[in-house]
Amino acid sequence: MITFKNVTKAYPPNTHALGGVSFRIEAGEFVSITGQSGSGKSTVAKMIFAEERPTSGHILIGEWDISKISRVEIPALRRQIGVVFQDFKLLPKKTAFENVAFALEVAGVSSKRIREVVPRVLKIVGLGEKAHRYPRQLSGGEQQRVSIARALVHRPKIIVADEPTGNLDAITAREIMELFTRINDFGTTVVLVTHDRDIVNALHKRVITLRDGKVTSDAEKGKYLLA
Amino acid sequence: MRSFFRIIKFALQSMMRNFWLSFVTTSVFLLTLLTINSVIVLNVLANASVKSVEGKVQVTVYFGSDVAPDTVNGVRSYLLGLSQVKEVTYQSAEEALSAFREYHRADPVILAALEETDGNPLGQALKIRAYNAADFPFILQALETPEYSPYIKDKNYSDYSSALNLLSGFSNKVRMGFLALAAFFGFIAILIVFNTIRVAIYVHRDEIGIMKLVGANDWFVRGPFLLESIFYALIATGLMAGITAAVLYTSDTAIREFFAGVDVNLVSYYQANALYLFGTQFAVLSLLGLGTTAFAMRRYLRV
Repeated sequence: MITFKNVTKAYPPNTHALGGVSFRIEAGEFVSITGQSGSGKSTVAKMIFAEERPTSGHILIGEWDISKISRVEIPALRRQIGVVFQDFKLLPKKTAFENVAFALEVAGVSSKRIREVVPRVLKIVGLGEKAHRYPRQLSGGEQQRVSIARALVHRPKIIVADEPTGNLDAITAREIMELFTRINDFGTTVVLVTHDRDIVNALHKRVITLRDGKVTSDAEKGKYLLA
Repeated sequence: MRSFFRIIKFALQSMMRNFWLSFVTTSVFLLTLLTINSVIVLNVLANASVKSVEGKVQVTVYFGSDVAPDTVNGVRSYLLGLSQVKEVTYQSAEEALSAFREYHRADPVILAALEETDGNPLGQALKIRAYNAADFPFILQALETPEYSPYIKDKNYSDYSSALNLLSGFSNKVRMGFLALAAFFGFIAILIVFNTIRVAIYVHRDEIGIMKLVGANDWFVRGPFLLESIFYALIATGLMAGITAAVLYTSDTAIREFFAGVDVNLVSYYQANALYLFGTQFAVLSLLGLGTTAFAMRRYLRV
């Protein structure tokens, strides 16, 4: 499903974010990518949804080769991938419902279908009663749930979460991780990028550890390793 | 089609959210159209006035008092055969004398001199009108033939050309002034549209980022900005058409009275050409807006 083959990423003049990263993630897996700040884990996340391109090597996401993907193909790729960020990236002037519906509007889904699907997804993330609240009227955890609902709404095959609990307290973070586990149970591949040791250790899922842009460990039911 | 309607929705939302910027942009578009329509009105009025003055230009050919009416009729037929000649009116010697008296009725010296002469000193005459005032030199030249010139005593070119030149020169200068003003407003419009779109891109930067994140294609992101500039052009042209109609209908009588004797009808001119005039103005304004928006997007919108 996701294959990185000897991927490097360099920024001029001489910064090497990734140096020869290779791994493969199968459909339906839950994989945590960990490492300290500057290890290259967010670069990996950005490459999965084609925000960044590799300097060399190959990245295959389903049938797309990210190293060769054209600008025109990127929207289609992104409709197959849900992305969740640390800062939620919600539109402040839209309600929870409108924020989630927005992802379907840009994909050309009919208004009727949007009215059917969005309340269902908001219910899954536990916000069925707060659909018409604006982001400022929601807690951090609730805002992240809206963001997850938006990532889920077009039924992506992959969810990429880049530090999704970074702005949340421990209890809320655990609730959000339970939500990702449930999403993974439904068969969606989840790629979690985090440096939160407690979260990684509590998951008992596969862990890929990066250090200085290189994979230092790739373990099934792994633990957060000290670099 | 569904996406197209959503692009329209996003464009309208953007215009409403940046209401004052939209207001200023539309106002400058309107000012540009206002000056362009002033040029159009001026053009119609100037053309009608020039045509009216041109219609009064005529050449009178006087024949000797001993020339036979048949000869004069021969000259008349010859002149009517020329394609440049519109009309040739015959004037008998008696009519010429009476017209002369009438023309100089306020000048007792000339009238006294006329009384001194024996009989009617004036001969028959032909009054010639041309389709185009510029053709008179050709017509006068055509009379310089050995067949007719011996009978012709004098040729009087009732010369309105200086008035005509003055009128044309003045209207041309005013027209150029208005066109320069229109170009100035056009330039200001370009700057303002550029800034409006730049600000809109800035205001929408989060929305644009999220659009891209959830898989919106290029046109879904760019479309609203392009449509916005077309909407500004549409609103400005619509307002201009409304203002033109209101001004023309309320001032038509006053304009006609002011230009008494000149066949001028601005209402019917606009009625006959409204679609062409406002269609062209909308098209040009839209192209101007689209070009500027495309340039602003190229500079500030990273999709």
